[in-house]
Amino acid sequence: MSRLRYLVIYLSLVVALILTILPLPDVVQTYRPNWVALALIYWSMALPKRVGLWFAFFTGIILDASQGTLLGQHTLALVVIIFINMNFYQRIRVLALAQQAIYVFVLLLINQLIVAWIEGIMGRPTPLLTFFGGPFIGMLIWPWIFVVLRDIRRKAILR
Amino acid sequence: MKILLQARGASLQALFFVLLCIGLMFVDHRFQHLEIVRANISLALSPLRYLVSLPATGSNWLNEWFTSHTELLEENTRLRAESRILNARLQKLEILAEENARLRSLLGSARKIFDDVIVAELLSVDQNPYRQLIEINKGSSDGIEIGHAVIDEFGIMGQVIHVNPQSATTILISDPEHAIPVQFVRSGTRSVAFGRGSTTQLELRYLPATADIKIDDELVTSGLGGRFPADYPVAKVTAINEDRVRGFVSVIAEPKARLDSSREVLIIKPRQ
Repeated sequence: MSRLRYLVIYLSLVVALILTILPLPDVVQTYRPNWVALALIYWSMALPKRVGLWFAFFTGIILDASQGTLLGQHTLALVVIIFINMNFYQRIRVLALAQQAIYVFVLLLINQLIVAWIEGIMGRPTPLLTFFGGPFIGMLIWPWIFVVLRDIRRKAILR
Repeated sequence: MKILLQARGASLQALFFVLLCIGLMFVDHRFQHLEIVRANISLALSPLRYLVSLPATGSNWLNEWFTSHTELLEENTRLRAESRILNARLQKLEILAEENARLRSLLGSARKIFDDVIVAELLSVDQNPYRQLIEINKGSSDGIEIGHAVIDEFGIMGQVIHVNPQSATTILISDPEHAIPVQFVRSGTRSVAFGRGSTTQLELRYLPATADIKIDDELVTSGLGGRFPADYPVAKVTAINEDRVRGFVSVIAEPKARLDSSREVLIIKPRQ
C-alpha cells in the first residue's frame, strides 16, 4: 500500500509529459514551460531521498525519445539541474515561493543552456526568444506547481 | 564525515550520469544502435500521443456532425463535379500511361509511372522548435520503411526517418538537416534544395550565375539519390539572390506541399 502511494510521482510526470507533447499554436509554443523539469525539481526538493539522479536519468531518456532529440540531450540537462538541486534544496525549501521561483528560473535557464549547447554543437542555433521564453513562464507558474504538487503529496501522505 | 562521504557519492554518481549521457548522445548521433530503444519508448508512449490528439480528432468529429444539411449537399455536388472532371482527365491519363508503358517497353526501360501509395494521418507535430518533424499513424506493420517519400496532394512533404510498428516519424523538406535533389522544370537545371527551418522556404545554394532561373519557376524532384521518386512537384521559386563577388546565385523557393496544415498525407512505396 505504501509503495502504491508513490505512484502519484509517476502520474504527475506522465501529466507533465502530456503537457509537453500537447500540440499548441506556434505563437504559444515559444513560451511552453518545461513541465517535466518543473515537476522533477519539485519532487527532488520534496523527496530528495526518492527522486534523485536515477529518476532524472530515466525521465530524461523518455523525454528525449518523445521529443525526437538525441538520446541524452534533455537527460544531461535534467541530471545536471537535479544534481544542483540536490546540493541546495535544504536552503531553498524554506524560502518564500517568490524567492524559490527565482531559483527555479536559474535552474530552468541552465537546463535550457545545456539543451541549446548541444543543438548548437550539431549546427542548429536557438532563437533568443525560445531560449528565455520557456524558463520565464516556468518561473511565473512555479508557485502554482509547488502548491498543487504539495497538496497532492500531502493527500498521498508521502514523506 | 558521513555527510561528506554522501556528498562525494552523489558527485561521483552525477559524473557517471553526465558521462553516460554524453556517450549516449555520441552513439545516437553517429550510429543506429539506439534506434530500437527509441522505437520501444515511442511505442510505449503511443497511448499518450493518441490521448493528446483526441481533442483535435474530437473537434473534427463534432464539426462533421454539426455541419448543416445544405452545406453537405453543396459539398456533395461540388465533389461530384470535381470527381467527374478528374475522372475525365484520368481516362486520358490512363491512355497516356498505357502508351508510355508501351513505348518504354519498346525502349526496354522499366520505369513506372504510378507508384503504390498508402494514406496516413498526422498524429502529432514535433514540439522541438529546431526540427521540422511530424508523426504519422502508419508504421512498419503497414509496410512503411525508412526512406519512403511522404507527399500531400500538392507536392513532396518529406521522408520517413524512424519507423515504429504503428507510427512513423517523417522529416519535412524544410528541416534544416534535410536536402532534396531537385530539377527546374523549365530549364532542366539540377540542384539540391536545403531546408531552412521555416515551412515556407527552401534554399538552393551555389547555382552558377549563368543558370537560367526566373521567379515562379517550378521545381520537381529529380529522382537522383534514389530516395525520392522523380517528377513530383517540390517548390516554386520566390526569390533569387545574386552573389556577384563569388559568381554564385542562391535561390529561395516556397514548398508546394502544405507543410504546416496538411492532416492527410500519402506515403509512396517504391516498387521493386
